[in-house]
Amino acid sequence: MSNIGKITQVIGSTFDAEFSETNMPAIYNAVTAEINAGGQKRSLTGEISKHLGGGRVRCVALGSTEGLRRGADCVDTGAPVSVPVGEATLGRVFNMLGEPVDGRGEVKAEEIRSIHRQAPPVSELSTNTELFETGIKVVDLLTPFVRGGKAGLFGGAGLGKTVILTELIARIASQHGGYSVFAGVGERTREGTDLWLEMQETEIGSTGRKVIEQTAMVFGQMNEPPGARLRVALSALTMAEYFRDSTGADTLLFVDNIFRFSQAGSEVSALLGRMPSAVGYQPTLATEMGALQERIASTNKGAITSVQAVYVPADDPTDPAPATAFGQLDAFLYLERSISEKGIYPAVDPLASSSRILDPAYVGEHHYKVARKVQTTLQRYRELQDIIAILGVDELSEEDKLVVHRARRIERFLSQPFYVAEVFTGKKGEFTSLADTIRSFEELCDGKWDHLPEAAFMYVGAIEQAEEQAKKMAEKV
Amino acid sequence: MANARALDKRRKSIRNIKKITRTMELIATARFKKAMDRATSANDYTKRITAVVGDLARAGLEVTHPLLEAPDETKSATLLVLTGNRGLCGGYNGNAIRLGAKTLSSLNEEVENVRLEVSGKRGISGFKFREVEVHESFLNFDDQPLFTEVEEIADRYLREYAAGKLDRLEVTYTKFFTVARQQIVTETLLPLGSLEGADTPVDPEVASGQRESLYEFIPSAESILEEVVPTSFKIKLFKCFLDAAVSEQVARMVAMKSATENANDMIKDLSRTYNRARQSQITGEIMEVIGGVEALEG
Repeated sequence: MSNIGKITQVIGSTFDAEFSETNMPAIYNAVTAEINAGGQKRSLTGEISKHLGGGRVRCVALGSTEGLRRGADCVDTGAPVSVPVGEATLGRVFNMLGEPVDGRGEVKAEEIRSIHRQAPPVSELSTNTELFETGIKVVDLLTPFVRGGKAGLFGGAGLGKTVILTELIARIASQHGGYSVFAGVGERTREGTDLWLEMQETEIGSTGRKVIEQTAMVFGQMNEPPGARLRVALSALTMAEYFRDSTGADTLLFVDNIFRFSQAGSEVSALLGRMPSAVGYQPTLATEMGALQERIASTNKGAITSVQAVYVPADDPTDPAPATAFGQLDAFLYLERSISEKGIYPAVDPLASSSRILDPAYVGEHHYKVARKVQTTLQRYRELQDIIAILGVDELSEEDKLVVHRARRIERFLSQPFYVAEVFTGKKGEFTSLADTIRSFEELCDGKWDHLPEAAFMYVGAIEQAEEQAKKMAEKV
Repeated sequence: MANARALDKRRKSIRNIKKITRTMELIATARFKKAMDRATSANDYTKRITAVVGDLARAGLEVTHPLLEAPDETKSATLLVLTGNRGLCGGYNGNAIRLGAKTLSSLNEEVENVRLEVSGKRGISGFKFREVEVHESFLNFDDQPLFTEVEEIADRYLREYAAGKLDRLEVTYTKFFTVARQQIVTETLLPLGSLEGADTPVDPEVASGQRESLYEFIPSAESILEEVVPTSFKIKLFKCFLDAAVSEQVARMVAMKSATENANDMIKDLSRTYNRARQSQITGEIMEVIGGVEALEG
């Protein structure tokens, strides 16, 4: 017999319901209510997030509460929101509740799983650390990704987070044999559509199969109420977890944008009666983030490699939301506005970005030394920038002039043409192997290419291409 | 938004830099005036010498001197590069070093034996960085080069030239035209080539023997020429030093002026960012307090 309660209050995207005091639905349980608005019937799902006492519960609505009435029936489903998992999800697009939204009919999944799960215990975590090559120079050299690790793309509005994420999907997913899961959290719906269409065209290696056939996508975009945006990452993660645990395959999880998850949390937090904390965020910010991030882990059964975009509000990385996400990641790229203003893409700040495995023990002595040398040169250049601004470049000592000369070339050489940005740059994407990357930067630091003009270093792959570009430029003049 | 405290610290340090550059600008202006006066008086002296040479020529003396003619073969040359002892003068030193290095390499192609002599700390360290050997260096010339000190160097060159150890002397220095225009140049000082005033036409009356020259030369016109030619060389060299000194002060004046302006702009920018950061910090804190209070009440 189903447990039926009554709606007692609707506050924005949360609502209260009253059940019998002896048979209250558990926290995280999904409840459904029928909405009859303007002659159209639809079902609203909510998630219990608080027991108010006296049989009353407070729920976060996972859909729009418009038309919800006091006194309406509210049915406890007896379980948290559950989504289909397994092979059947591949090639499909879901919403946060696990319902297909691509118009290709029902999903015949053998299993559905609750989106609320425990993080894997420490004893099961994988201890392997291995570099994950992306073919993007700045990433491989300065912020090497970890296979089975988490990488974050931090950046303010319009710096190209989504472009880099799409590029990574194009680079990694098309080379990758395992499964991919994409979570669209609170970003533009259009971007999701673009990605979906692109995945249908891109092939995996030379297998003749499309990327989409190995990918499940879950969207809870900007137009959805906060409850949906708060839980969509979990839905996607649950699907990824299944692939990791049951098939043992390497799984990729892309999240765009994890900040929206925190933002959705803060939108419902005050409605749930929690006292706002720093900068108006929910007091449970770190807990929520931790619960999500800890589940994105590689175990001895399989690995989840995750790349997440993190929006940085007002370009302020000390804002609590990005700061909380920051601590969870193995590698992070910080996108800097001043670099994108120079027209250098990807606008990765080589000094603020870093990786856990940029350490001689993991990447090797040689790679480490070259990376540090590049950073030292750029650091010195940055220190000199105030002096240059005031006194001019002529006042620098000869050594410093050389540093500036090389740093400006290194800065430009960190740019790279992207596959997905071909329409903007007019150049074909470049995959630069790690060995080429290290060699190029080493030679650049040693002054072997001091004679090339700065512009020759823009948007090329390995250093030899810079030489070619310089030749072409010389011919034109 | 960046850290307000860090911004304030940066702004303070730029203010200090501005104080320095402003002071240096004032000092350079004062020094420039003095150096300028000296250069002008040297001009008068040069004019006198030219007049003497002119008189000699007018008296029918053929102006010839070993210093004026190039030796048959140029085996050894010396390049003298004049730079400053101090920096903070824009491109002044850098330009001198660059042209000096260029001249040196072209000289090396022409002449087998090239010596490099440099005046000024900046030039010495500049050539050291380029790993070019400096055979002789001078540090004793600042904004007021002394004639006696320049004369010493000039005498040495003259001795070497007479002994055939030196066939050519090139000087790279910043020539002063006006306050708005100085240019880095390389001039050949030895052989002198010609003396100014030497091409004055011989007085026709004297040439035809109608009358004696206006001047009486004691002991003789030739011995006076013997004196005038080396002196003329010394003056020319001294003029190079003076020009370099004036140019350095002008360069410093201009560089410091624009540095002060740049610092001002930067302070303005930083103040704006700082105020904004401070304000947003305050707003944030107020919002938090209010939010907390309201949450407690609700």
